[in-house]
Amino acid sequence: MSKRSWVSSLLVSIMILSMVLIAGCGGGVDNGQATSSQNTIKFGGSSTLAPILAKCADDFTEEYKTWNNVDASLPEEPIVIFVSTGGSGFGFKSSLDKTFDFGMVTRDLSDEEKNQLVDGTIIQLGSDVLDIAVNNENPLPSIKSDLTSAELVAIFSGEIKTWSELDNALPERPIVVAVRDLGGGASVVFDNAIMKGTPISTDALQLPSMGALGGKIMDNADTIGYVSSGLVNQNPDKLIPLSVDGIAPTIENINSGKYNISRPLLLVSKDKPNQYQQLFLDYLQSEKGMKVVEDLGYVPLSR
Amino acid sequence: MYRFFSPSFKEKFFKTLFFSIAVFSALLLLVILLFILKESWPIWAEIGIINFLCKTTWQPTATPPQFGILTMLVSTLWVAGGALLIAVPLGFSSAIFLAEFAPTSLANILRPVLNMLTGIPSVVYGFLGATVLIKYLEISFDLASGESLFAASVVLAIMVLPFIIANSENALRSVPSEYRQASMALGISKQYISIKVLVPLALKGMVGSVVLAFGRAIGETMAVLMLAGNTMNLPFSWFDKGEPLPALIALELGSATPGSSHYQALFATGFVLILIVIVVNLGINILLQRWQRTV
Repeated sequence: MSKRSWVSSLLVSIMILSMVLIAGCGGGVDNGQATSSQNTIKFGGSSTLAPILAKCADDFTEEYKTWNNVDASLPEEPIVIFVSTGGSGFGFKSSLDKTFDFGMVTRDLSDEEKNQLVDGTIIQLGSDVLDIAVNNENPLPSIKSDLTSAELVAIFSGEIKTWSELDNALPERPIVVAVRDLGGGASVVFDNAIMKGTPISTDALQLPSMGALGGKIMDNADTIGYVSSGLVNQNPDKLIPLSVDGIAPTIENINSGKYNISRPLLLVSKDKPNQYQQLFLDYLQSEKGMKVVEDLGYVPLSR
Repeated sequence: MYRFFSPSFKEKFFKTLFFSIAVFSALLLLVILLFILKESWPIWAEIGIINFLCKTTWQPTATPPQFGILTMLVSTLWVAGGALLIAVPLGFSSAIFLAEFAPTSLANILRPVLNMLTGIPSVVYGFLGATVLIKYLEISFDLASGESLFAASVVLAIMVLPFIIANSENALRSVPSEYRQASMALGISKQYISIKVLVPLALKGMVGSVVLAFGRAIGETMAVLMLAGNTMNLPFSWFDKGEPLPALIALELGSATPGSSHYQALFATGFVLILIVIVVNLGINILLQRWQRTV
């Protein structure tokens, strides 16, 4: 047997063997998922809810480590909770096709969507409130800290283009309108509460994330936009919230429903939660979970 | 055992194996195209190609929804074209310098540095652009906001520059050295050799590098998403804001309900984007082949 041909036939056999192995591993992974899916909970969707879920999941696994510490009747299996982001629409879709156990959705569900979830659950953890905010160098709050809905419509639809058109005491500089992507969760909230169908100006800057939107306002003195109340609370010196129709975005006004530029923070699933999932959902709705919602700048569901 | 894998069997085996892998990669492109076409089919059927491409109103959530991507299409071509306008002169000059003029030691330092530029993630470029370039444009030109097609083009130009330089330099280096020797024997200056002799001979490869860069620039998402401003206006100048197609898809796909006409319209947008790249690639290839035959 010549050495070279021995080596090459060995190579070929390794190749074939590895193909079989790869195929085998593929099957193995599937099996693994089927057995481990009980103790693994997967969340996916809105980037607004993701930090809340991630923090709660961290605290939860840190506190209990294995499921038998949560409930003695459960086996000693590690707690595994995945949180991935991709937007409310993605969250809703992936809860339907069960890519994730729960979809994170931060907008009102349509009746059609609710019908698709009749066998499952819809849980509200709190509300995300949008503040109308400007830069701290903008003279607007000291001159006119309250805007009416009509003025907001005029600004965001592009009818008013300079600050001086809004009030003579303001500088004659262009208003830079900053919004989230049209059709996304936040812009739907703003449309329902203020615009009511009036199209947003085609001059408006569309920012890819709430953080970028807040950052744009913090960077640019001529910008006005709607920002998560959480972001405003985290940057009280740089983002100045305005009242709308005489109602300031305070906790009292939000919880009483007077201030209505807000959206619910929802978890949705296609099926009823199993025992493991219910335990974590209970934790989310407990005081500890609600504390996280509040700490991250959202308004927890008042019970 | 010894005769189990005879040489002719082995040869056939590997031939088939590599052939099927090659076919598989080609099929992959076809399958992706077909899938996107299938997902976007209702849009093409209901709205029509002309209306979809030539209308300027994009209101996916209005009733009835309106899907016209002309503004985005113009922004895309403007941003990518603008990037090439900046990157091609720089890239060609750098390539000529590296291939013909740079001392070996300097070239050996410059080349890896340039190649490393390709390794920087586009989100980092976008982030730098958003914090540095936009701020700079706002302050130095007293703009209300610095996001513009120009800002996106500048950052894209930096991103595609290494591709243009590396490929053009290769093209220049692959010109047979006889041409250099013959030119030098005639006593022609090095500058003249480079520009009048070598560049025309390497032009095919250099144009190829530009096409590659164009494909890269037109599909780039993250940087343009952060820099172009994403407004829905038809841009009339380089300093207007706009929303290139990849930015549109990235912004709205997350919030579009799967199966809705909005979702399908975004797939249709993706299809248009792929087609542009394919058509430009094929067009240039055919053009170059014709051209070579005449030379």
